[in-house]
This record gives sequence, structure tokens and C-alpha cells, in this order.
Amino acid sequence: MTAQLHIDTHLKTSELERCAELCRIALPRAEVAITPQREVQLTVAVTELYAALAWLKDAEGLKFSQLMDVCGVDYLAFNPAQPQRFAVAYHLLSPTQNLRVRVKCFVAEGESVPSVVALWPAANWFERETYDMYGIVFAGHPDLRRILTDYDFIGHPLRKDFPLNGHVEVYYDAAQGRVAYKPVDLPQELRNFDSVSSWKGLTGNTHLAETDNVFVREEFK
Amino acid sequence: MANQTRTLELTLGETLERAQAVLAQAQTAPQTAPDQPFTLNFGPQHPSAHGVLRLVLELDGEVVTKADPHIGLLHRGTEKLIEHKTYIQALPYFDRLDYVSMMCQEHVWCLATEKLLGIGLPLRAQYIRVLFSEVTRIANHLLWIGCHALDVGAMAVFLYAFKEREFTMDFYEEVSGARMHANYFRPGGVNRDLPQGLTRKIGKWNENFSKQVMPLLEGLLDENRIWKQRTVGIGVVTPEEAQAWGFSGAMLRGSGFAWDLRKSQPYECYDQLEFNVPVGKNGDSYDRYLCRMAEMYESCKLITQCLERLEGDLMGQPVKIENYKISPPSRGEMKDSMEALIHHFKYFTEGFHVPAGEVYAAIEAPKGEMGVYLVSEGGPKPWRAKIRAPGYAHLQGLDFMARGHLLADVTAIIGTQDIVFGEIDR
Amino acid sequence: MTLTTDPQALIAQGMDGVNTQLRENGFLLTTVEDVVNWARAGSLWPMTFGLACCAVEMMHSAAARYDLDRFGTMFRPSPRQSDLMIIAGTLTNKMAPALRRLYEQMPEPRYVLSMGSCANGGGYYHHSYAVVRGADRIVPVDIYVPGCPPTAEALVYGILQLQRKIKREPVFGEAGRRTEQPQYAYAEGEVRPYSALEMHID
Repeated sequence: MTAQLHIDTHLKTSELERCAELCRIALPRAEVAITPQREVQLTVAVTELYAALAWLKDAEGLKFSQLMDVCGVDYLAFNPAQPQRFAVAYHLLSPTQNLRVRVKCFVAEGESVPSVVALWPAANWFERETYDMYGIVFAGHPDLRRILTDYDFIGHPLRKDFPLNGHVEVYYDAAQGRVAYKPVDLPQELRNFDSVSSWKGLTGNTHLAETDNVFVREEFK
Repeated sequence: MANQTRTLELTLGETLERAQAVLAQAQTAPQTAPDQPFTLNFGPQHPSAHGVLRLVLELDGEVVTKADPHIGLLHRGTEKLIEHKTYIQALPYFDRLDYVSMMCQEHVWCLATEKLLGIGLPLRAQYIRVLFSEVTRIANHLLWIGCHALDVGAMAVFLYAFKEREFTMDFYEEVSGARMHANYFRPGGVNRDLPQGLTRKIGKWNENFSKQVMPLLEGLLDENRIWKQRTVGIGVVTPEEAQAWGFSGAMLRGSGFAWDLRKSQPYECYDQLEFNVPVGKNGDSYDRYLCRMAEMYESCKLITQCLERLEGDLMGQPVKIENYKISPPSRGEMKDSMEALIHHFKYFTEGFHVPAGEVYAAIEAPKGEMGVYLVSEGGPKPWRAKIRAPGYAHLQGLDFMARGHLLADVTAIIGTQDIVFGEIDR
Repeated sequence: MTLTTDPQALIAQGMDGVNTQLRENGFLLTTVEDVVNWARAGSLWPMTFGLACCAVEMMHSAAARYDLDRFGTMFRPSPRQSDLMIIAGTLTNKMAPALRRLYEQMPEPRYVLSMGSCANGGGYYHHSYAVVRGADRIVPVDIYVPGCPPTAEALVYGILQLQRKIKREPVFGEAGRRTEQPQYAYAEGEVRPYSALEMHID
């Protein structure tokens, strides 16, 4: 029994190319690509982000009327190096055309991104989360508060330089009669097996992995 | 003695005087300004907060003028933890996201990984996945209807629904060993084949459920006067609003927008199966209730079709891809063959390497569109895994849905949104 | 029939023994302590308080199949009416002050049952920046139920174990007072029960 493809069987390459072509014409400065996984991806500059998203929302023949997701990515020490440390990714869905598109925008640390709450109210919490997790500021956001982390949390936990264990932990201080913070003190660290040992592959970085571990697509066909 | 009595009288008299003075002051004091809203803190420990929702409500009398949900009280840092785990170690986190529809969450992680790996699946694995996705959908909707009805005051539904839910958990247990957090779907297939006799059991339960239990649940609620008073016209969402707020699943379909990823962007073998997509009309809580109830009937139909194939021509077919780089060899084989032993060891210590790239995979989870945005650098661990939870977008809409409704309707709206905090806070 | 205040002997005699004693003597000898503990253990009212996944199993234990009501365990929506807090799920840093406040609102005698590996010690989320590594850092815990999540049966068993614990408790005098300053795991400055060597820390 051979394995059968089971994802995105509805996608027609002509449709993807049509979408990419429309984007290329309307947004000449954006970098439009169809990824090997058959997804349309636009990479735009911060200055053109709002205009691009506004166009995609109402574009004739596309109409990405739904914003499904906004999230940040931290590319600190990513291999290969990316243009900037952070990226914000928007996932749009067009129910009428049955298409998805991803819009990516690279931002440097401290740089702010225009908020798209005016286009899609759904962006509100997604942008708040991105701010909370990465510290990326969304200019023009009506209510840019932290959302998921603790009240008075310090730092942005999904940044790659934020430790997994965090900096503080809570305990009940009987003397003060309240729940208080103290620096993290763990009996056992998370064992990451990140050293170059007999199983080198256990590191997250490909350049340290043995060559025979590297995925070869041809083997799976 | 007499002296003492007089002192007492005097004190009493003084107290009375003081009380009268206070009363007079209270009457002359300006009333609270009528336009100042009353702020009410709802939760995080409220029986109908569905976990740990904290709502800061602004009330004008009993009418809600603003609802500010405070979330994150169950924020466990799942996305950060996933970055430190291999692809298979990260899988159980997905069970624990939306802890009432476990296998559907595993499903989306498997799909994202498989999409990046560029592999297909044996047909039997696809059918088993769909079978359990639909069992999970029923389990989710049963919990939803039980709790939703309990929130608006109907106790019996809860007991009947949970009785049936126990059976779905039994199926989980039989197939994976765990009642809830199954960890059964794996990238490249499912962990192991169905145990003998399970298909027959599911078939029997399925028939009983669609013919006996569903009519019973509907009989309790469909024409129930109190139920209709609490849900009809409550939390109305127009299709435009639903789209603008990123709603999906029954929250979108209840508003009359026919959109189901199983139909429009089919994954697995959904395109080979027959089922309908129930769509509402008015976009209120009652329509969403009807939608979800109809969805359970459709799930029963899907289960029947899957069982037919699984018991028929797909019997004995492999349930995972036969590539030891992606799926582990069986234990028996591992004991006999050196090659298999090495693969087994590497699979469970190092994990498999996933090529660099980024994908977004989405499924129609019981609550709506569940998506995973996966960025890989290559290597055995994901660089970034963003979980797009349907409940996150829905809860965000609570503010506009609750405005103008009475305080008691807020719980009905939370109920109709099918909120589960594991996936919202992650 | 011998008259006894020994609860074990009474249990051994069973209901027949109790009935015989009452019929023969018209009275029954026991201690107030036993009666008080019997009453406390027989009507444990937990708070309806679910944090995460374990809450679903907690609901299942209260629903049709396992039916905790059989043991006099009825869920109450308010901490002020309940004796037992079941910490069902992951306790996060953001939730910890609220949990402590709820605990303080419960009247004495109060008991805490920690359900599942997250509440017991952080479990699968132990290394996360947002999770309390064990609910016993916030409130003193009486019973730990292991599992991820524990099955509904395991929770029922845990509650039965708690009932056993309550039945053995002294009620009166100095010993009967539940300790004013309960022991918390890892209070500040406390020496750990195990050495770094045991934990294989370099």
C-alpha cells in the first residue's frame, strides 16, 4: 500500500500562481513566492505592510476577508541569517477564493509595526499577544497591554534569549502572608543534551548534526 | 445599680442619636452619579467561567456595557516548551491544549509536521485518524452541551451527556491506554493499529448514540421553553462580524456562513466521505446549538463510513508509513534486527530531522479552525510553533457579543462560544 | 455483646453489632472525636474549581458513571461553603494569588487535594517560565493524586484516602488544632530534602 498525499489536495497550482501574479502586479516591491509546501508567501517592508494588507483584504479576485493569525518569530542566531531579528507573520484566508496567504514582515528590535486593528478587529488580541511574547510594538493599537503573561511580568518570554525557566518563580511567603516572587532555583535543569556528544543530532542546530542524519527528501518517495 | 442603668440608657440614647445623624446624612448626601458604571469582577473561580476566565464587566444596572476578558491565567508557556522539545516530544502538549478534544489537536501538529516533511499517509491511517477525529468531535460537543446547559440551569443534560462521554473515553483508552491524553496520532500515521473488536464496539455505540441518545438530548432542549428563552436572540453575530473577528467553526456557520475546512480544504480522506455541513440562520446561541447538534449526527455518519472501510478493504493495511526514519519499528522487530534497534533508539532519543521551511496547517477542530504555524531550521526541534486557537478569536468577540445583554446572559454567551482555556492561554 | 469505644472493633462488628448494641443497651458508646470525624469525612464538600485538563476528569468523577455523591461529596460553587479544594490542573504564576485567596476564604477545617502531575510538581510543564512547580508552594496539600490526568477512579480513590486521613485526625486539644503554620515545599531559605549529588547536578 503506497502512501497517499493527504494535505492540501484541493490546491490547484494555477490558482496559486494566479494569486501570486495578482500580488506581484499590485505590490511590485513585495517579494512574492510560492513555497515548496505550496503556500503563497509575501515578504513586505514595514513601511508598506499596512497598504499591502489593506489591498489584500479588498483586492478584486482575492478578497482575503479573514485574518486568521498574527504572530511573531524570533530569528536570533537562525541559520541561515535573516534580514532582521524579528518577523511578524500574518495568515490571511479568503473563503470566497478558498486561498490562504502568509504576509511576512521583518522588523528590527525596537522597530514598531503598524497595527491592522482598523482593518480586522480580530487583530487586536493577536497583536497584543505578539507584543507580550516578543516586545514588538504595534503603532496605533487601541489597547496594547500584556495579555497572557502574569500581571507585572518582566521580559518577553518567547524571545530566544529569554530562558525557558524564566527569571522568577512564585511561592507563598508565610511571614508576609502573601504570594511572592523569588529568583528561580531549580533542583534539576531541563536536560537539553545540547553538547556535542556521541549523539550529536540532539542539538537543535543543523550545522552541528551529523551529515547522515540530514533529511533527504528522495528517500521518502 | 440605678447608676448603672442610667449609664446604659445614656449610652443607648447616644447610639440612637448617632444612628439618626448618620441616616440623615445618608439621605442628604448626593446619590452616586447615574452615568458611572458599576464594575464587576467575574471569575477566575466562577462555576460557569469554564476554567479560569476572569472578566471585568462594566454594568449599567444589570446591562453589560463593556466586557474585558483577562486571560492568561492558564498560560503555561507551551510554545516556548515546544521549541525545546523534539517533534514527537512536543506532540503530547497538543493533547493538553484543548483538553476536551484531544486527538484533533494532535492531528494538526501531525499535519504540520507531515506537510514540512512532504510525506503522504497509508489510507488506513487516514481512516483511523478521521474515525477518531469524529469520535473526538462528539466528545467535545457532549461536554459543550452538558456545560452549556448546566450554565443556564439544566442539570439533566449534563448527566446524560457525560454518561455518553465516558464511552468515547473508553475508546480512547482502548486505542492508546489513556482516557484523555492519548498521544495516539504520530507524524507518519498513528501509533498502533486498532485493537481487535474495537470497530465493532464503536459501531454499536455509534448506532445507539445516533438513534437513542441524540433524540433524548434534543428532546430535553430543542423545545424547552427555558432553554429557548435563554438562547434565542442571545449573542447574535452577523456573518460580516464573524468574518471580521476571525471566527471559525460553529461560530461562523451559526451565522449562516457555510465554511467547513473538512469540505473546502479537505485533509486526510474527508473528500472521499459523505457528510453535510449544517448551517444556521440567525447567528444566535440557539442556532449555534442546533448547528452543533446536527454536527454530531454528521459525525455519526462519518464514523459509520470509516468503520465500513476499516472493517472491509482496509483491514490489515499498515497504519503508519514504513520508513523507520519517521515512524519507529515495532518492538518485536527492534529486538531482532540491529538496524531496527538503531532506528528505534535514534527515533526516541534524537527524534527525526525535519527540513528547513515554514508551513501553516489547519484543521476543522470541533471549536473551529485550529492551526499551527511551524518554522523549522532543519534538525530535530522546531524553531517556532505558533498555535492558532479558535477559542482565542471567539473569546475576543465576547465584548461585542455581550454588550447590551443582561449579566446572566454572559454565561450563556461563554457557553455558546465553547471556551476552553487550555487552547486560549496555551 | 461487648461495649466498645474502639472504632476498629465497632467496624468489625458491623451494622449488626451497632444495631444489637442499641437494641440491647439502648445506647452506643463511642468518642465525640470519632463522631466528629465521621461527620467531617462523610460530607466532604469540594469547591467547583477546575484549572485545566484534570478538571474534565473531576467532572467525570462527579457525573453519571462514578458519581461522587455516593460518598457525600457534593460540589459547591463557593469557597465559603466548602471543606475541600481539589487543585485540578496546572497552577500558573498568574493564578497563584487567586488560588491562595480562595484557600483563605475556606472555613476550617479545610483540606487540599492536589490532582495530577502539574499540581503535584509542575509535571509536563515543570520547566516553563509561567508555571508554579507544585501547588504545595502556595497552599499546604493533604493528598496528592498522581497521573496526567488521573482517571476519575483515581480521584475517587484519592478522596477515599482523604476520608481515611480525616478519620484518624485528633479533634480536641492542642493536637486537634490543624497547624497554624503549615509546611510549604521550599519556603525561602529552606534546605532541600535531597542533595545536589543525588540529583546528579554537577
